[in-house]
Amino acid sequence: MSDNRTETTERTDRERSADSSASATETDPLLRIEDVWKSYGDEEVLRGIDLEVDRGDVEVLVGPSGSGKSTMLRCINRLTEVDSGHIYLDDLDVTAADTNPDAVRQQIGMVFQDINLFAHLTARKNVTLGLRKVRGFSKEQARQRADSELERVGLADQADSYPAQLSGGQKQRVGIARALAMDPEVMLFDEPTSALDPELSNEVLEVMQGLVAEGMTMVVVTHEMRFARGGASRITFLAEGEIVERGPPEQLFENPTHERTAQFFESIRHD
Amino acid sequence: MDSVVPVTELLTAILAEQLLFVGEETVGHYFGEDWEFVYRNREYLLWGTVITIVLTLTSILVGFLAGFPAGAIEAYGSGYSQAFVRKFGVLLRGTPILVIMIFTYFVLPIEIVLGAAEFALRSIEFLLGPTPFTVPTDVPEAFLAATIALGLRSAAYQSQIFRGALGSIDEGQMEAARSIGMSRLETIRHVMVPQALRRSVPGFQNEFTIVLKDTSIAFAIGLGELLKRSHDLFTQQTTAVLEVILFISLLYFVLTFGTNRTLDYVSNRFAIPGESS
Repeated sequence: MSDNRTETTERTDRERSADSSASATETDPLLRIEDVWKSYGDEEVLRGIDLEVDRGDVEVLVGPSGSGKSTMLRCINRLTEVDSGHIYLDDLDVTAADTNPDAVRQQIGMVFQDINLFAHLTARKNVTLGLRKVRGFSKEQARQRADSELERVGLADQADSYPAQLSGGQKQRVGIARALAMDPEVMLFDEPTSALDPELSNEVLEVMQGLVAEGMTMVVVTHEMRFARGGASRITFLAEGEIVERGPPEQLFENPTHERTAQFFESIRHD
Repeated sequence: MDSVVPVTELLTAILAEQLLFVGEETVGHYFGEDWEFVYRNREYLLWGTVITIVLTLTSILVGFLAGFPAGAIEAYGSGYSQAFVRKFGVLLRGTPILVIMIFTYFVLPIEIVLGAAEFALRSIEFLLGPTPFTVPTDVPEAFLAATIALGLRSAAYQSQIFRGALGSIDEGQMEAARSIGMSRLETIRHVMVPQALRRSVPGFQNEFTIVLKDTSIAFAIGLGELLKRSHDLFTQQTTAVLEVILFISLLYFVLTFGTNRTLDYVSNRFAIPGESS
């Protein structure tokens, strides 16, 4: 817990601290991850992860492949079940056996690496499906909401296009709109740009930057260091299922305290 | 100019008259007496064709109604339901259709079949509200037995078509739908099934053709479909076997070809824009 306090004081130094009105020593954790363990067979993927993400913060998870970043993300909305430990969204114990995962997932938006738009539906219907079936919107309400979400990601003119008719970047923006339409408390991004060409990544990153500016709470797994540097409140470096180092972007980029972190940031700099 | 119209009308009238009412003697004169024999019995064979078509449709329908849920249970079910469906499917696919049909005709009591049909209809009505249908009780037993046999066997194969199609849909589709809070059942219904049905069309085309051709096996239980009726004919005039068989082969071909073309059209009509089908 002492770790937590030092982070809080660091936080006051941050320029884009969204809740500057709140007292400097008070944190407002929206997402709390406590001692989460997960293994697949003999392979331990997560080994006691502790993490708190404040409301309005952007947490960027980085690390070598196989470090457990994606698994961590998938545990948050229970696409993957934890072996032990707890994850809380506000006061709700997400991981509790009697918590309905469907109810949790409505509050947690997720954007996938391989996008996963519903292939048989237009961009608009990709967004309206959840509104109609989960939120119980009327047809007209859902349509209006979908159109405004598509406009938010700059795709108002592609509402009637099918996924196969869209570029990778456009598809991913529809994916973001689909998640946003459910009014999530927190958005999870699982390497949202790694399947895209560099020039198509930009349009997705711009949308994500827009969400940062709106104060959306986000947990982002990414290799996009521009986004990590510009958008992150905090960067968490994972390796072999453990958090090696966590801190504001400047710290991890410029003055990492661990050798392992330094090596990682050195290696991606040469990419 | 006025006189031209009546003349052409007269010509077409004569042509139509000639084509529609070609005398049996004319056919015999040009093509020989065996073709004349086929031509004379055209109506008898046509009714056989109708029975073949109706039997195909009812069998495919039974096969779909039973096979589609069975495929979904095989793909997504668990425990006893999945084990039962799987084993029943293996049993049906491992038994010759002729054996199944003789079983349904000679062994299976008709009361059980009608009772099952009644139960199925009541279940549908319970789920979807009143339907205008009643279980027909005046259907010939041979037709009923053939429908059950072909329908069940088709269900066993159609279930594999749907199971394969459902399995071919990317797992990410399921995850994406679950991630916005849709239940598993809703996801299967609104995301997986619509895509799987589209991917089922080629396999379904195959199955439709197979069932259509296998209606001829109902010959064995004496149902008056196309093959049975052709048999009736060429035992009357044994020199006409080739002509009769050629003629019904042509009919079977027209039916399968037409079916495939129709399903091609359906496939294109419902193809997802931008995706190659």
